[in-house]
This record gives sequence, structure tokens and C-alpha cells, in this order.
Amino acid sequence: MLVFVTVGSTRFDALVEASISEPVLSTLRDSGYDRLIIQRGNSVIESSEEFNGESCTIQRHGVDIEIWRFKPFIQAECEQADLVISHAGSGTILDVLRLGKPLIVVPNPTLLDNHQEELASALQILGHLKATSIQDLASTIASFEPRDLVPFPPFDGTKFSKLVDEEMGFI
Amino acid sequence: MSTCTTILVLLSLFFCIRHTRLASANPRPPQTCSIAIFLGSGGHTTEALKLVSALDFGRYSPRTYIVSKGDTFSAQKALALEHIKAADHAFSDDQPQYKLLFIPRARRVHQSLLSTPPDAVKSLLACMRIVAVRPLFKKGAFRQPFVDLLILNGPGTCVILCITIFLNRLIGLPSPRVMYVESFARVKSLSLSGKLLYHFTDRFVVQWPGLVQPGGREIYRGCLV
Repeated sequence: MLVFVTVGSTRFDALVEASISEPVLSTLRDSGYDRLIIQRGNSVIESSEEFNGESCTIQRHGVDIEIWRFKPFIQAECEQADLVISHAGSGTILDVLRLGKPLIVVPNPTLLDNHQEELASALQILGHLKATSIQDLASTIASFEPRDLVPFPPFDGTKFSKLVDEEMGFI
Repeated sequence: MSTCTTILVLLSLFFCIRHTRLASANPRPPQTCSIAIFLGSGGHTTEALKLVSALDFGRYSPRTYIVSKGDTFSAQKALALEHIKAADHAFSDDQPQYKLLFIPRARRVHQSLLSTPPDAVKSLLACMRIVAVRPLFKKGAFRQPFVDLLILNGPGTCVILCITIFLNRLIGLPSPRVMYVESFARVKSLSLSGKLLYHFTDRFVVQWPGLVQPGGREIYRGCLV
């Protein structure tokens, strides 16, 4: 099974470092995930210099890892993935949930004026995803039950078009 | 005498500010309605274009995309949406029903506060040219606003654009209706643009129920993107 980790085009060193750490990799392997693709965006991996190129492949703790700076079509990775782990950016969250993929988000605590946390917990309360922290990532993966998630409603353009039609006197 | 005049001017200004918002409420529908959308880069652009994609392009035409100078991401995304829509509706691409307008950025991310004012003034002048000056010289369209509806969703430069519309209304020039849609990312508190524009828009739309205040003017219809 495949896990896709993405931080979009942002920089979130801690999430990328955590996803190649021993506890997370071992948990992934024990949960049946044998492949990991990471889009690190502008994150810098201090522990392993060789990962900081455009792309790199390696095997660690029984998991095949591919690390990319940017993947041109992350939709393809998301579609193949059995689990997505991402930063809590609203764009990424919407994209992944609309593809119907099980999602674990880790809000970036280093952002000033942090709203990622609010969005992540609001969506967790509605049951659409699981929110966690860097420290708890491994244990969250271990106890994660994709079947318990509530599907996110598909895009419904009629809500906005009705609003605009009302505003402009068409309705 | 002068006191009287001052009081009258103040009163009429106050009246203007209280009522400009509702002055042109629900106009009788024409066949089509021209719109402008400010694309604020990155996630703002993605959300704004998602909103626009929901509209009937036959009715909401022509469309003007207002983009910050140098923001090629937003310009490309707008063109991509127009191409998809044109293919869907078999519109002919010979006479495109849209255009892109570029304005200087009011403030770049991490820009020092000292250098912000001159850039904001440049941005303001560019907005005034689009909103107030150009429509006056448009042939055969006297007393028509530059568009019928302006859609905003942040950040920075959209505040400047909204200020221009408001100035327009104060001096009695034709102005578009203004709709602000707060980002899906804002769950518990409004963004800075949202807070600044709260009282200066005709429709203020939020996407989370927690942002609706009792007696407030915000509209909530669920997630719109």
C-alpha cells in the first residue's frame, strides 16, 4: 500500500523529517504500507543531505521511499495513494478530501497567526479527516481507521451561483 | 452660515455612508451581467476561480480578471478556466468574453512597512483608473459602472479595490455591487481583509457557521468551494 506525504509548495521541515523517522516508518510498515512518496516542497531535510535534490529514492525500515521536491501532477499520486498525510493548507485538504482519500493532517505550528489548526480541528469534528501533531504522528497512523471517516460532500456550484443570481436580481 | 453648511455636508456624507451600501440593491435583471473578480494569488486565486466556475458564463459576461502585476500563476489559472468553459459551452474563442487587467501590488509578503505606503498609492491610482476614470470615457456607456458585480476574496490589494468603489459611490459615480467571500480556511475568525471590508461590501459571505454573529450581515450557505 502507498502513502503520499505532501506539504504543497510550503516549507514544513518537521513533517518531512518525521515521515522518514524510524517510529513513523516502522508504524507504516506494520500497518501494511510498503511505499512512501513525499513531496517536500521547500522543506529542508537536515538529517539526510542526499534527500535535498530534485528527487531521491531510498529504502528504510522496510519502506520504499521516494522524495520529490515538486511533483508536477500530485493528483496522480493522491489517486494512487491509500493514505495521504499532509500539512493543513485548505487547498490541499479540499483536493484530497474531494478525491475521497483517507487523510491525516498535521497543522504547521511554526506559522504565525495559525489558522491551520482551526481548520484541521473543525474538519476533524465533522469526521472528514484526522488531525494530529508531529509528536503523535506515529501513534495516529497506528490507530487510524479510514472506514470511520465521513465522506466530504462533492463540490456544489449551485450554492454560489444561486447567491449571485439573488444578488443581481435574477432570482 | 458656514456652520450650517458644515452640518449639512456632514449629514449628507453620513447619509451616503449609511445608504450607499443599499442604494442599488437588486437591480432589475438585464440579459447579461458583467463581472470582475480579483485574483489575490495562491490559495485566494484557487478559491476565487472555483467560485467563478460555478457561474453561468452565458449570463455573467463579459468577465474581467484583475490580477497583481507579476502574478503569472493567477493569470494562467484564469485563462485555463476560460478555455475549459469555452470547450464546455462551445463558445467561440474568436471574440473572448473576458479580459485580464493587471494592477500593482499594494503590499508584497514580508515587505517592510516603510515602503508600503508608496506602493499602496500606486495600487490605489491604478484601481481608480479602472473603476472611476475609464468608465467615464467609454463610448456609448455613459453612467455605466465598470462592471455590474465585483467579487473579492482577499488579500491586501482587494481592500484597495474596495476603497476605490466606495469613493466612487461617495461622489455619486456608477459603481458595481461588491461581494466578498471569506476563505474556506477561516473557521473562527475573519481575515484582516474580511475585517476591514465587513461594512463596505453589499454582500459578505462566510463559509463556516462559527463566523455568523447574531444580527450580523454575513451570509452562510455552507462550503462554497
